[in-house]
Amino acid sequence: MSSNDYYGNTGGGGGGFLAGGSPYGSTSGSPGGAGRKSEIAHSLRPLTAFQLLNATQAHSDAEWMLDDTELGQVTIVGHVVSIQSQATNNLYWLDDGTGRIEARHWIDSSVEETGSNAITEGSYVRVSGSLKMFGNKRYVNANHIRPVKSPHEIYFHLLEAMTVTLIWQRGPPLRPGQNPSTTVPPAVSSNVTGSSAYTAQSHTAAANNSQFSHLPKLQYAIVTFIQSQHANEEGVHVGAIARAVGGTAVTISNALDTLMDDGLVFTTIDDSHFQIAA
Amino acid sequence: MSGHISMRVNAGRLAGLTGDTVRLPCKVLRLSDDSAIVEASDGGQVEIQRKNVDVTGTYVEVVGTVVDASLIKALATIPLDSDGELDMTLVNDVIELTFESRFDKIFPRYHVEKEFIALDNSW
Repeated sequence: MSSNDYYGNTGGGGGGFLAGGSPYGSTSGSPGGAGRKSEIAHSLRPLTAFQLLNATQAHSDAEWMLDDTELGQVTIVGHVVSIQSQATNNLYWLDDGTGRIEARHWIDSSVEETGSNAITEGSYVRVSGSLKMFGNKRYVNANHIRPVKSPHEIYFHLLEAMTVTLIWQRGPPLRPGQNPSTTVPPAVSSNVTGSSAYTAQSHTAAANNSQFSHLPKLQYAIVTFIQSQHANEEGVHVGAIARAVGGTAVTISNALDTLMDDGLVFTTIDDSHFQIAA
Repeated sequence: MSGHISMRVNAGRLAGLTGDTVRLPCKVLRLSDDSAIVEASDGGQVEIQRKNVDVTGTYVEVVGTVVDASLIKALATIPLDSDGELDMTLVNDVIELTFESRFDKIFPRYHVEKEFIALDNSW
């Protein structure tokens, strides 16, 4: 995942979905509504040119919408078909295979785009900025434009656009042991019951999932249960594990020993409390 | 066909897209004056007709029109320079994903009936 500051918001804008989901805009009248709108405005969404061309705007000062979701900042990776240098800005015509869109980058005379940062026609670049309309032509007002760091960035971007779009449509991927009915897609208005699903934890847990998926059933059930407890450094008591997971004291104890040998769990305040190794 | 569509493809998908503009990420195997033989991300070999089009580098993306299942007429090539190798398995996985129907809102589709033909061929 990119180490972009804004990325944490694209997974669902943690905590911002208090009242009035995006179909209702910010007219809910609740203080949460206005806060949420500025949160989306600061989020960074990876997209394809096709998606940018399909976004809609109710009127020229309204926010941009894509599939019932508001768009904040956007980022796209495409190849530069042509560059038009003007006095105050550079105009890049970008093609990412799904469509073409213009990106306008206002020249900052104090910063020179030379050397490894020079943009050339026929090369791939990453552009970040906001979607704008001038007349009836849309373009990306680019805050940032740079050559891609490697060709893999093209494929990373496609996968990221797919992932984030799916998360907006269907909610974040399930954490281990989580009931599907408790996750709510961010695009639908919701109360805060599912809020833990939208925090950064869901990303970590999705990553941990693959770490544990090879485990035998009892061990997998144990680590899943410990994770679901949101325990702090104290960890989870073995009695709670046994009650939740089932099995005898011997089988649980053996499973925990194996997990400890493998470095997946460790004991905390005493020999009866366990926590997942990060 | 509205808009500029040039979806990334592999050798296997060419058969269903004759006449369309595509992007083929590939490794250059042999270069001659007017053509090149390249290996696509699924391992298939494709001939590129490249009058006046430069093909430089080992890994390139060939943008061109599909003549038939094994021949593309190049319009342009984009170098895919990389310090190491370009992971073609990853590229192929991504290419196949982009054609899945759950991503219909992210990627434009070529003529629908041609998509069905491509599916038939891949089974």
